Amino acid sequence: MSTVIYRLVYYSRNHIPDQNGELDAEIKQILERSRVNNDKDGITGALLFNAGCFAQVLEGPLDAVERTFERIQQDERHGDVSLLALEPIAERAFGSWAMGFLGRSETNAHRFAEVGTKSGFDVARLSGDEIHSVLKRLAIEEEAAAA
Amino acid sequence: MNAAAIPIAARETPLPTSERILDGLAEPVVVVNADGEIVYANTAGEKTFGVWLVGRSLADLFPYYLHSGQAATVGRVSTLTTEDHTKYIARFEPMENGLCVVSLHAGGAANHEDGPACDELTGLATRNCFMRALDVALVERGDLGEIAVHCIDLDRFKLVNDTLGHAIGDALLKKVAERLAKACRKEDVVARIGGDEFVVLQCAPVREGEAERLANRLVDLLGRTYVLNGHTVNIGASVGLAYSGSGYQGRDVMRNADLALYEAKRAGRARFRCFEFGMDANLRERRELEIDLRRALALKQFELHYQPFLDLKSNRVIGFEALLRWHHPRRGNVPPLDFIPLAEETGLIVTIGEWVLRSACEAAANWPGDMVAAVNVSPLQFKSDTLLETVSSALERSGLPASRLEVEITEGALLDDTENVLATLHALRDLGVHISMDDFGTGYSSLAYLQKFPFSKIKLDRSFVAGTGADCDAILKAVAGLGTSLGMAITAEGVETDEQLNRIREERCTYVQGYLTGRPMTVDRIARFLENGQQRTEAAS
Ligand SMILES: Cc1cc2nc3c(=O)[nH]c(=O)nc-3n(C[C@H](O)[C@H](O)[C@H](O)COP(=O)(O)O)c2cc1C
Repeated sequence: MSTVIYRLVYYSRNHIPDQNGELDAEIKQILERSRVNNDKDGITGALLFNAGCFAQVLEGPLDAVERTFERIQQDERHGDVSLLALEPIAERAFGSWAMGFLGRSETNAHRFAEVGTKSGFDVARLSGDEIHSVLKRLAIEEEAAAA
Repeated sequence: MNAAAIPIAARETPLPTSERILDGLAEPVVVVNADGEIVYANTAGEKTFGVWLVGRSLADLFPYYLHSGQAATVGRVSTLTTEDHTKYIARFEPMENGLCVVSLHAGGAANHEDGPACDELTGLATRNCFMRALDVALVERGDLGEIAVHCIDLDRFKLVNDTLGHAIGDALLKKVAERLAKACRKEDVVARIGGDEFVVLQCAPVREGEAERLANRLVDLLGRTYVLNGHTVNIGASVGLAYSGSGYQGRDVMRNADLALYEAKRAGRARFRCFEFGMDANLRERRELEIDLRRALALKQFELHYQPFLDLKSNRVIGFEALLRWHHPRRGNVPPLDFIPLAEETGLIVTIGEWVLRSACEAAANWPGDMVAAVNVSPLQFKSDTLLETVSSALERSGLPASRLEVEITEGALLDDTENVLATLHALRDLGVHISMDDFGTGYSSLAYLQKFPFSKIKLDRSFVAGTGADCDAILKAVAGLGTSLGMAITAEGVETDEQLNRIREERCTYVQGYLTGRPMTVDRIARFLENGQQRTEAAS
């Protein structure tokens, strides 16, 4: 019996000050912990950082998603967490990503700018589906670029 | 003269000896020497631990107590347990010659009836356990104001329980407990003291603003979305914060924190409030007002006054607005602004509102022609589900045709649960009742509301009539224009001078209401008022 995979999408506001490299260091720490924890918990997904906001997709069995989200929810490094979607999905969209990250790098910044001008990118106004598909598209591009 | 400096009491009644005073104390006090041997015990001490206390050692009373000279530093406090597990908070006060006064405070006196130390569901401390910890903490550092207590109440928890079931409710409480524990430090004590009530004892929030920061954090953290078994759950948390002070007991601090919590909830929930002196007086005053308000209907202290409104074209009175007055034998006339909010908060507004509707309909049934009674209906009455029934039965009983009743609502009624409110409004309109929008221009004044429902009338707030600036003129003009194009009549309220009357006439308002055209009056004066008015308009035309 295969467990049902759920997808959770949220966005939140960053609380980490962007000075003295603190932001980069914290994001690095978040990603490191995420990759270790998520690997163990069977969670995949992607994290996006842009314009002072995080947006994240978590995929996995419901209880693992809930436990992970609860930890994230308690994290003081961000706030105003808005849950955009929580629903069962047929298959993972980020199957190979313990936690893909999009944002901050030169190329990604550039790509974001592009997305921004094309779609009027504003995390706060995007729905769960839209964030998901933006992340998905960027992830595919990323993989293609890495290959 | 020197004698004048001696306090009168001291001169007249000599004080008893210190020993007699000590024997008058309800709490055990003993003196131990450097070897830990008891050399003195007061009466309470002998009563508690048996006579022949002198000569025994502290370790005989408290088997786990190890006496060492160093232990007896100034103000040292520790918890001592007797053989039969009764706990005492002991304060050591060293004296000369290696002697030490030990006062024993029955901190955990009720040990035996305490019940479990931790809450089964959440694993947090229980109320008893918390109160004990608080008492100990207060003895240790209470005087320094280094103890903060946070009382926490979950907003909307009951709704979660009712709609998603107890299992989810319990899961939510567990998550809340986890988040609380996460936000606090190890030495803090977190307890669940009621269904959805929690308390935090914060030890030594010595840095400036540390307790406020925690309170703020708790509001933020507990208010964040929960995901439970695939359900997204949103609740809020209100927090009341209070500090210890000199001479405070546990229940004093708890009471203060509770008062602060009450204020936090009153201020709109999902926030924290610090205790301030005066909060208790406020609360007492409100409680008394509430008690009086609850009695007011039965004691027939309410009365309706009626203020006429006129058609600006014909200059004729076309109806009266019913205004609620409360005469209290001691308080005198209580202004509506002083009691309506409380009536809404307590839900009393529903019964009061019902009375207003019935009385106004009965009064209006005796008015000549098709004169209208306008009645204010509070947003809360819309939520109570009985409004439609109340209105139809008031009409039926009085025999007043529905077309002669006008229900005035404020925007507040449309703010939440809009769908249900709109449904009620439509049902009222189907009865034939007129609906008007009151106090327009003071709140959100959302034009969307005007679009959502075909109000028969918009009542423009008095401030725009009283104001003299070009702004007010412009607003008057705009709202009047808006009314005309939406097919809604406009009433200008608060007209007091001829000059204001001329102005609103120019702006083509439909109706006018104010002191100039008629002050609120008791029901028995309406007939006379109408007669006089009739003569006046007849003379004028
Ligand atoms: C925006 C954001 C996204 C995060 N995403 C994850 C994640 O996907 N997985 C994870 O385990 N922790 C994530 N974290 C970190 C958690 O909040 C928490 O710090 C971490 O799980 C603690 O792990 P540890 O106990 O193993 O150190 C995220 C934090 C932030 C601020």
